[in-house]
Amino acid sequence: MTEAAAPAPESRPPLRIRWALAFVVFAVFFAVNAWLQPSLLTTRVLTSNLTSFLPLVLVAIGQTYVVLAGDIDLTAGAIIALVNVSVVTLIEQAGGSGGAIALGLAAGIALGILCGLLNGLLVAVLRLQAIVTTFATSIVFGGIALWILPQAGGSVPQAYWRGYAGGLGPVKLTVILFLVALGTAILFSRMRWYRHLLAIGGNRLGAFQSGLAVTRQRVISYVLCGLFAALAALCLVGETASADPLLGPSFTLTSISAVVLGGTALAGGRGGVIGSILGALTLGLINNIVFFAKLPYVTQDLVKGLIILAALAGGILGARR
Amino acid sequence: MSLLVAENIRKAFGSTLALDGASLTVEPGEVHGLIGSNGCGKSTLCKIAAGSVGADEGHLRFDGREGFFGTPAAAAAAGIAVFYQELSLIPDLDVAENIALGHEPGRRGMVDGGAIHREGARLLARFGSSGGKGLTPGGLVRDLSADQRQIAEICKILARAPKLVIFDEATSSLDGDQVQIFFEIVRELREAGTGIIFISHRMDELFAICDRITVMRDGRTEATLPVATTDREAVLTLMVGSALATRHRDEAPPRPGAPVLEVAGLSNAVLRDVSFTLHEGEILGLGGLHGQGQSAVLRAIFGADPSSGSVRLGGMPHARRSPAAAIRAGLGYVSGDRGINGVFLDRPILENMAIAHLSKSRAAVFRPRAFVERVAGIVARLNLRFAGYDFPLRTLSGGNQQKVVIARWLATGPRVLLLDDPTKGIDVEAKADLYAIIDELAAEGVAILLHSSEDEELLSTAHRVLVFGSGRIRADLAGEALTPTALYRAAYEVSAA
Amino acid sequence: MRLLRHPLVLAGLAILALLAIGEAVAPGFAGAGQLRSQFVIAAMLGVIAAGQNLVILAGREGIDLSVGAMLGLGALVAGNVMDGDNAMILAGLGAAVAVTGAFGLLNGLGITILRIPPLVMTLGMAGVIQGLLIILTSGRPSGRAAPALTRFIIDPLVAGIPGLVFVWAGLAVLLIWFLRRSRAGLNIYAIGTNQEAARLSGVPVTATRVLVFALSGAFSGITGFLILGYTQSVFIGVGNAYVLPSIIAVVIGGTPLSGGTGGYTGTIAGAILLTLLQSLLNAMAIEPFGRQIIFGLVLIGLMLIYGRQDRLRV
Repeated sequence: MTEAAAPAPESRPPLRIRWALAFVVFAVFFAVNAWLQPSLLTTRVLTSNLTSFLPLVLVAIGQTYVVLAGDIDLTAGAIIALVNVSVVTLIEQAGGSGGAIALGLAAGIALGILCGLLNGLLVAVLRLQAIVTTFATSIVFGGIALWILPQAGGSVPQAYWRGYAGGLGPVKLTVILFLVALGTAILFSRMRWYRHLLAIGGNRLGAFQSGLAVTRQRVISYVLCGLFAALAALCLVGETASADPLLGPSFTLTSISAVVLGGTALAGGRGGVIGSILGALTLGLINNIVFFAKLPYVTQDLVKGLIILAALAGGILGARR
Repeated sequence: MSLLVAENIRKAFGSTLALDGASLTVEPGEVHGLIGSNGCGKSTLCKIAAGSVGADEGHLRFDGREGFFGTPAAAAAAGIAVFYQELSLIPDLDVAENIALGHEPGRRGMVDGGAIHREGARLLARFGSSGGKGLTPGGLVRDLSADQRQIAEICKILARAPKLVIFDEATSSLDGDQVQIFFEIVRELREAGTGIIFISHRMDELFAICDRITVMRDGRTEATLPVATTDREAVLTLMVGSALATRHRDEAPPRPGAPVLEVAGLSNAVLRDVSFTLHEGEILGLGGLHGQGQSAVLRAIFGADPSSGSVRLGGMPHARRSPAAAIRAGLGYVSGDRGINGVFLDRPILENMAIAHLSKSRAAVFRPRAFVERVAGIVARLNLRFAGYDFPLRTLSGGNQQKVVIARWLATGPRVLLLDDPTKGIDVEAKADLYAIIDELAAEGVAILLHSSEDEELLSTAHRVLVFGSGRIRADLAGEALTPTALYRAAYEVSAA
Repeated sequence: MRLLRHPLVLAGLAILALLAIGEAVAPGFAGAGQLRSQFVIAAMLGVIAAGQNLVILAGREGIDLSVGAMLGLGALVAGNVMDGDNAMILAGLGAAVAVTGAFGLLNGLGITILRIPPLVMTLGMAGVIQGLLIILTSGRPSGRAAPALTRFIIDPLVAGIPGLVFVWAGLAVLLIWFLRRSRAGLNIYAIGTNQEAARLSGVPVTATRVLVFALSGAFSGITGFLILGYTQSVFIGVGNAYVLPSIIAVVIGGTPLSGGTGGYTGTIAGAILLTLLQSLLNAMAIEPFGRQIIFGLVLIGLMLIYGRQDRLRV
């Protein structure tokens, strides 16, 4: 028999850190930021930075699941806008009490899930092209947001934004939320459905022939993206204490940038959520750096554009080695 | 009671009838061979049994359960596992993860990475060292070679402990040792009462392992024969409808031509110092076990893969910078992996024929009428029939698609044709047509380098055969020395007595 | 029934349906005067979608998200070169095409040599060009169209049809010929269908892919020039509204995002269809949000009719 010649089987799966490069890029930008803005290393500034990066981090997490499955979601920004205006309007109309806030939060999350479900049904069940279809639904979602609230305005009760700015003892709520999001992402990445998601993104037909529930998993990834976009919207409400139907669109493409920066392949099947979180943080740091480098105002956008392009290109080149 | 009964299955893809009256019965503990020329519907029949393709009409019973399976998942749950010809592996998961895909061990939705890995290692151990370097539970599938991927796909099936296994061309990339191990596994499955459907183009393998053989032709089941009471000739007759005589070439080229292609010290990731000379009008065969450098030589000469060493074409140095440069120098390359390397399925037949000629002529403008005139003779010669030049290539059968690719190269008027297993997956008739044209071209002075995975084809077509092993030329056989035994000896490194 | 599923036939039917609905809702919608102005608007979308069409045809997830920024750049360059001088019209066009073509070339090089996915490369490039526009203009509109250009674009040239439509028709004929009869055109389809087979058939894969992105930049530049002529002066964000519509015009015209099949004839229909839809919604007395919602729903409907992808189980 041939077994005698077999190499000794390794006892443990190899450790593959898919976000190592994203971490290096993040570390470099963090160092540059700290150099330009020495106060970055204080707890207060770190916390406030994390607070302002949190919405993008959340959207990027959701987007990652869709991209890993080989799809794309251009509605993330529109879902943010829709949830944002719906929640604020609902809480106002329900009287602004604690119960109204709870109702608003629940409704916002449900709305995000519903939007994601609709995308999932159109793309995975009805098999429409993801880019064009989610662009179309984003137009619809954006239209509904304008319908609910034609222009920025409204306000949420003090309890909402006070609560969002508060915390558990010395630890800010936003930091806790960030850690919970990170923990959830890590937990998810060890689950069976996540493994199936990678398989579906890597080889859709092969996954189907291996007996995986391809359609269901793709719908789930869109639902997750809707959910995380809704969570981001709730955070934005906490931050701005008001509603803006035009807030959000920029999150769509930025979240995709964060996902790519984090080392996830747009073709699907390769990458992970932790990378995307690092990517989102890196994008936030780039904003800081451009600001603190005291560049002339008119050049800031160009410099930012160049840095992002270079970071994206560098990340992709580095991932390939 | 029979394990699987499929009766009178009918299936059309658009206007093409893939199956019409296909039937198959498999008993528990039986190895059931399925053979037929390409496009006869073998794979489709199996995919219908496995739920990944739907049937239009017919009847299916599996393990006492009536009706077709709606999804592969349902068929898998019932106990059917399939080795897909095109494989179902996920490139960015590792081998163990692929093997466990869909039934990962673990609790409450969590995955137990260690258990997956141990199970993968256990199954891979069956193939021992024959799988070669890199075939480890933790290796990514994207880094594996073709034979390693097939082994991984085989292990994926074993992990499911199925009642019925369908092996669709499971041995096409395996070498002799690997095939032997595979046969051992098949025999063990048979002992355990598993039903096995074994699809292969290799008659020897069918006769070595099967209990019964079902022959299909044109989407229909022709006959099911017990192996003990039949022979190869009978199966062949059923396949083609008339007996096919085996032709052996023993003559040298009609006239000794001048050297056209002189290869010296060609080396790259696969090749080790390969040197030979190809003459005008010569058909030089490349043989040996699967994947020993035969394809690599052709691709290196064509400039498709990088290489070092020197190649002279008609006495002039040939730089091998790119396929485009090689085409201008008078080379043509036909691959058996049409889907990847040859065809533009959605493009018109005419464009498929014109693309290389356009590259060679560097004409800025494509003149369809002039080109049709140019290829009309070639089309007739290839015995190539189609409804119109504007039809997408997709509408043709595999054999005719390959003829279109040949026409593409003949339209460039090549001095040297590099044929990389060109008859892979092609029906018997198209094969005969292709070999006839190869003979004619050689008689006209075209130099031909022919890699074939079937020794039979090399023996009947080539004037001379180079046998490859581990990227080197092991033997150069011609004339009297070119015998099946000599090929076998060189390939398996058995020294002549 | 099979003919009915042909994208071109579908788009044609949809166009007729829109005209009929439009005429019913707002009499005069399908009248000659209205149609002329529709065609002017469709022409702009059609020209920018031409470049997008080439990029998408060439496959490998080809998409150009920088066309909007390129359009702004083209308009800015053309406007500053012309600066209201009729003698400088061609110079303005040439300069716009050269500059945006060069940026398109950069896109192509990044995508081929550095192998950055098109979506990422062109998204990044859009950011860079937007930043550049801010520096160049300091946020203020600058440059003016030459009066003769504006007249040519808006005023009837022959049979009441404005010059711009003829420009579009001319470009369309050229492009359709290019895709069917030129070696470069066939090469675009070849790399879009099967890149490896194309390489082995001697197609210069890299050069062809760079070419489509350069052409996409150039077409965006032309569109910028035309829009400048139409509106006389433009603000730098003018192109943003064209990015996704340019992709949609291509897709509903029958070129799938996977590339390799389709062509510009369908895209022309797609551009007209999108334009009519927009203007029909404008003609109906509906509030802006309602228009937006209906527009999105109609797009989804169109995708449902013929944008569906193959089943995994056949």
